[in-house]
Amino acid sequence: MIWTIFKKELKDTLRDRRTVMMMIVIPTLIFPIILNVFVGISAGFEKEAAEKKVKIGLCSTQTSRLEQELMQLPKELGKKQFIPMSDTTKVMEAIHSDSIQIGLYIPANVKEYLAKKEAIPVVIYYDATEMGMKERAETYLNYISEKLRKERLIELKIDERKLIPISMNYRNVASDKEMIGKLAGGILPYIFIAFGFLGCMYPAIDLFTGEKERGTIETLLTTPVARWKLLVGKMGVVILSGLTASTFSILGLFFSIEVLHVVESKELLDIIHGILTPGFIALLYCLLFPLIVFFAGIMIPIAVRAKSFKEAQSIISPLNILIVLPAMVGFFPGVELNTITALIPVVNIVLATKELIAGTLEWPLILLAFATMCALATLMVVISYRKFGDEKNVVN
Amino acid sequence: MNPMIRVEHLTKTFSLNSRQRKELGTTDTTVTAVDNLSFSCEPGRVHALLGPNGAGKTTTLRMLSTIFQPTSGTILIDGIDAVKDSQEARRHIGFLTGSAGLYARLTPNELIEYFGKLYDVPKEILLERKEKLFSLLDMHDFQNKRIGKLSTGMKQKVSICRTMIHDPQVVIFDEPTSGLDVITAENIIHLINDCKSQGKTVIFSSHIMSEVDLLCDDISIIYQGKLLFNDTMDAFRNQMQAPNLTSEFIRIVQQSKNVAL
Repeated sequence: MIWTIFKKELKDTLRDRRTVMMMIVIPTLIFPIILNVFVGISAGFEKEAAEKKVKIGLCSTQTSRLEQELMQLPKELGKKQFIPMSDTTKVMEAIHSDSIQIGLYIPANVKEYLAKKEAIPVVIYYDATEMGMKERAETYLNYISEKLRKERLIELKIDERKLIPISMNYRNVASDKEMIGKLAGGILPYIFIAFGFLGCMYPAIDLFTGEKERGTIETLLTTPVARWKLLVGKMGVVILSGLTASTFSILGLFFSIEVLHVVESKELLDIIHGILTPGFIALLYCLLFPLIVFFAGIMIPIAVRAKSFKEAQSIISPLNILIVLPAMVGFFPGVELNTITALIPVVNIVLATKELIAGTLEWPLILLAFATMCALATLMVVISYRKFGDEKNVVN
Repeated sequence: MNPMIRVEHLTKTFSLNSRQRKELGTTDTTVTAVDNLSFSCEPGRVHALLGPNGAGKTTTLRMLSTIFQPTSGTILIDGIDAVKDSQEARRHIGFLTGSAGLYARLTPNELIEYFGKLYDVPKEILLERKEKLFSLLDMHDFQNKRIGKLSTGMKQKVSICRTMIHDPQVVIFDEPTSGLDVITAENIIHLINDCKSQGKTVIFSSHIMSEVDLLCDDISIIYQGKLLFNDTMDAFRNQMQAPNLTSEFIRIVQQSKNVAL
């Protein structure tokens, strides 16, 4: 009987355009679109920044060695144009009006500083809201500074190596897989969770509040089918919709990587292929299944209680933020799965998935996270059953 | 003859939340929708449950169809205790309301098969019964169209078919013609007469006296959840003090109001 109800509800759900959009179309397209736009825009910005001719206001006597070095900077460091300026007030005004992007104040007595082998106090004017301008100024001055430092060392007859008391040699023991898992591994569970929630939302509202609103629940409840069977059949479709939305979002991501080639680095691609093994995917679904049941269990009592589609939507939509925000914990590299985080719903699954991606599994903690979510999912199913069984809720 | 439906001392109270108390202008924490109702319905007869809006008709029918649990009292459907064994009692009941209550994204074919399965009708019998009902109601032309795209009349035919697919002994109609045009309402009138001639027990709620006059054998008038009159239509006509049925119905309700005041 549950199977009969499940099949009917699934058919009904798949014929609802709004649900199909949320369950399949949007999750599939969102990553190819976002990644393409993102990659396109960032590549465009990089190109534009590299090609951009930076106008540098030079407030100095323009006769010292430093000015000469500035004029002879290699072209590879970026296009630039020096504009002589009389005072720093004009430099600041020019930066504000964007007629120059950087201003350099070089003191008149550069020769003295050079002779005494002291640091020349150069003032750099820039607008922090203009990305990359401070860095461009630093690049130019560091280039000259390094050149002058080397000259001084030669003049002073000092071996540069003798100025370095400790030579630091780093050996990274984390594998590339671990690095990706710990640093970027949060994105995968985040996507899964965000779309899992959205995927559950419309079917939950449609199959419970919608039935109430359309008056179909009354006829359904007069059939000789136990209410728990009706609930399980309907809930099954809500869970399947959540899992389908998550799966399609991952497929969209996979499509972006494999077909649209948004990841160009071969090493990175090899690591991604190494992560996405059948075993990993099976474990990922094992972790995410109770979470999606938990989501369905949160939404169903709300949908059962709500009197209209709008009312249910207005309660569940803001809940989305509450549920998905904890999933962002996965983006912070320092947060790890431990006995406390394993007990926090959503956070535990995000962190467990990160461990899974990084290959640094601690089975007792993973099992604790899984058991926590199973317990919470069961609790929410019980609450859903009680609400669905309450006659005040099922009929308007 | 043994009654097919026997209702004894049926009472239903609902708890009120603060918003509902405010709306009703009361400080009571509960409201009694149905108050100590007793009546019975016999096979092959049509029993009308008559009352103004808010009298408790729908609540009574919802208890009979086991959607609501009574606060107290008993309901026997074909000898089955509908309170204790609601699932079994439902097998004997067909329920139809004025609002068709159909799944707009399914076709009539899919919907009827779904409900047949929910009622555990064996496959062969389901197909045979579906064919018979589709022919009887002239539904073949639109059996594979989405219900959402059908006219009100077509939808009502689907609704009738859904109600009758498990061949129930008891058919409950909750204001079945409310909001329907005369031609569509005529389908319902036919259905009720057919049920009667097939020996089924029909109970239906209405506040349209002409419908009651046309169809019913027995009548129960309820007001504020209480039973004001319960007898045959003939007995009702014989005791009339007003010139017509509608006026008599209003007189009985008014009399009850005056007593209450």
